Amino acid sequence: MILQLNHLQGKAAAATQEVIETLYSLLSEGQIEPGEFARLRIQLDWLQYKKNFRDVVLVTEGIEPGAEPVPFMHIQIDTRQVVPGCLKPAMQRAMLLAKARSSRQGLLQSEPLDSAPERLPLEEFKPFRSSIAWEFNRLYWQRLKDWEQILGKGYEQALPGGQSDANHPDAVADSVADFWTLLRDLESKQRLPAEIYILEIGVGTGQRYGLFLDRFQALDQQRGTNFYPKLRVLLGDYSLHSLDRSRAAVEKHVDQCSFMVLDAINPLKTLSFLRHKLLHVHLTNVYDNLPNDEVLRRDGKLYFIQARAYLPMTDVVRITEKYGLPFEKARTLVNRLLEGGPDYLGDYDRGMGFWMEIWDAMKLEERLAPFEDVIDTAFPPGLDITKLEEILKDAPGDLRFHLSSGALESFYNTIPLLYPRGYLQVQDIFVTDLNQYRLGFHGPGKMDGSIVNWVNGVLLREVGERSGYDVHFAPFQYRKGSKTSILYTTLRE
Amino acid sequence: MTLPILPTTVVGSYSMPGWLERLKTEYFARRISRHDLDEIHDTAVKADIKDQEVAGIDIITDGEARRDNMVDYFVERLPGVQIDRSSKKFYYDFYDSVVQGKLPMASLGLVADFKFLRANTEREPKICVTGPHCLSKRIRNQYYPSEEAMAMDLARVINLEMKELVKAGARQIQIDEPYYSGFPEDLPWAVRVLNCMVEGVNAKIGVHICYGNRYGKPSWEGSYRYLFPTILNAHVQQLTMEFARRGGEDLDLFKEFNPPFELGVGVIDVKSHDVETPDLVAERIRKALEVLPPERIYILPDCGLFHLPRDVAFAKLKSMVEGAKAVRAELGIGERE
Repeated sequence: MILQLNHLQGKAAAATQEVIETLYSLLSEGQIEPGEFARLRIQLDWLQYKKNFRDVVLVTEGIEPGAEPVPFMHIQIDTRQVVPGCLKPAMQRAMLLAKARSSRQGLLQSEPLDSAPERLPLEEFKPFRSSIAWEFNRLYWQRLKDWEQILGKGYEQALPGGQSDANHPDAVADSVADFWTLLRDLESKQRLPAEIYILEIGVGTGQRYGLFLDRFQALDQQRGTNFYPKLRVLLGDYSLHSLDRSRAAVEKHVDQCSFMVLDAINPLKTLSFLRHKLLHVHLTNVYDNLPNDEVLRRDGKLYFIQARAYLPMTDVVRITEKYGLPFEKARTLVNRLLEGGPDYLGDYDRGMGFWMEIWDAMKLEERLAPFEDVIDTAFPPGLDITKLEEILKDAPGDLRFHLSSGALESFYNTIPLLYPRGYLQVQDIFVTDLNQYRLGFHGPGKMDGSIVNWVNGVLLREVGERSGYDVHFAPFQYRKGSKTSILYTTLRE
Repeated sequence: MTLPILPTTVVGSYSMPGWLERLKTEYFARRISRHDLDEIHDTAVKADIKDQEVAGIDIITDGEARRDNMVDYFVERLPGVQIDRSSKKFYYDFYDSVVQGKLPMASLGLVADFKFLRANTEREPKICVTGPHCLSKRIRNQYYPSEEAMAMDLARVINLEMKELVKAGARQIQIDEPYYSGFPEDLPWAVRVLNCMVEGVNAKIGVHICYGNRYGKPSWEGSYRYLFPTILNAHVQQLTMEFARRGGEDLDLFKEFNPPFELGVGVIDVKSHDVETPDLVAERIRKALEVLPPERIYILPDCGLFHLPRDVAFAKLKSMVEGAKAVRAELGIGERE
């Protein structure tokens, strides 16, 4: 048995003692077989997201492939949720559920949705990127205004520090200076296009671009370069509410701006007419909110993590009673909420309340699929098993990491838009060294009604290199303690 | 060998399959032998030849499957160029290379490649050679007093190789000079170097000038206007240029300057996976015919097909051939020598 402390929180590590006592108690009572014990991995996490998808104990079952396949369990414990005496019953319950699942069918078969009486599954096991959880995320951005009204605050206040690093004036000023320098350089070489196209994907409140354009216009006037009239600013988002709001923030520059509904995962689809034309593409906190998958490497073998969203039955009872809804129709009600938004209940406030409480209660259970079984569908464009194995060559043997499927796909579908000397700049939370995955939890967490995941910068770097761009990460130096980094690309010779 | 009017050809490279990329990288990681890699290359070249023949291309190359990229294949054959072999992480990366003494005259081994091509096809073979301007931009110069001086010696070495190619039967030779577009200020000396390189070479010589295709992306943008009038001094018979991705506006330069060259007209966008229809290809050819007579036009992709998936590359070549056939039919002009 291997026990892995996956965080640096000293206080939370105090739970380790209880974990060990619980394990030996279960072993002595015969609830864990010695063979199971030998193959057991226990990972202790500290989840910094107060709202997340994890139960105190999450048991994930897998089968080690080979001539004689061997089942094993991978147990993750959120030390932040551990209170004295809670572990043993939680671990017993989770292990029973996992064993029931693995004895009932082959691990990759579908499973009846009513197989666990304590839980109401909302879907079959599937890649997390396709989970119903992302439909909640999508609905949140579509109905952002509703959440902000109910909560009485803008979504940026949910961010650490209560504000977005996107709008930091010094960061914006430096970004403008870099961009202006590029334009000046291109002009000196007579390579400045007649129209200077720039793109913001995910506009937020629009404040950043308002600041960017104010600053750019001022610098342009100050230096007498006359670039500003040539600017063609594209503001893209899939939230109409965000686009509307950003219009007000860039009002002074509206003649330079176009607003468009755009899928961050495939900007090329909307903007293919601008292939090789964009001089600057910028994103803030978009990649961390794109669908993601996770991969586990254990004893040198790769497993793809499949997820299933569920509601604890106690929460289903509580929520349906509170809103006067039929308990037995809870799953249908959730699906209708996702199709029609909160209004479908006939009473907007009731609909919003139901949505928020369901989201709050929603958790994820997991199972491990051998990579060989999903190899054709697991990878986002730009990545394949050969490249992944190359990247993992020097990484720790036992590792759970993000595949950052949505972020990689977005990156892959954005860089063809860049002008030869154009560049991509992304402010986000990046893992830049795979060892970081063994020092802390990196998502998924819940941020109001949305999902947040750290982004695997190591994979982005690799995909970038093979696509003709070097990918660099610079710390966000403008706010002390910020976890944000700035990704920027340079043309690879 | 009889060629039709508006003959179709390729710029050089054919699609590089993922499996071959992996094997090349394996070689650099010393996990497969040189002997095995050579066999793999021979097999891949035969497949590339076959695809071009089946697509109906009139003048074919070997697909350049042996080349890691357009620079290193020459750099590692040039005696006097020192290479840091650890500088490559991925086969496609450029070597870090340097010249620290006068370049000696020596064979580059392209004749063997040409003979292999000719032995495996009945079509008109073409061989492509990376030009001295391009090579001088990638090799660090720590000996010569100027880039031009180093490029001039590179040209002398390649000139010798080109003459050997002609002796071996090469009638079509293409010189690749994509860096002209990145460094237009070099053009006066680059043309002097080019003329040194082709002196006494008795073959049809074309110069391919594009805007770069590294990683399937343009390296620069702009107009071909920078070429004129300096390029008129080049002692070559043909220019091949990209007009599909960038549009045909620069074709008017041929009207304005009336250069004596044939024109290889790029009618296939090699940076897009969308396959052109034969109608679109024909339209692009007709646009070229507005400025030059058909006898002076060759039909080809914008650049090498290296970065395209194999099925896409093949489909694009088929469309190109169909488009050329359609225009020939409209012109009612027959075959020619």
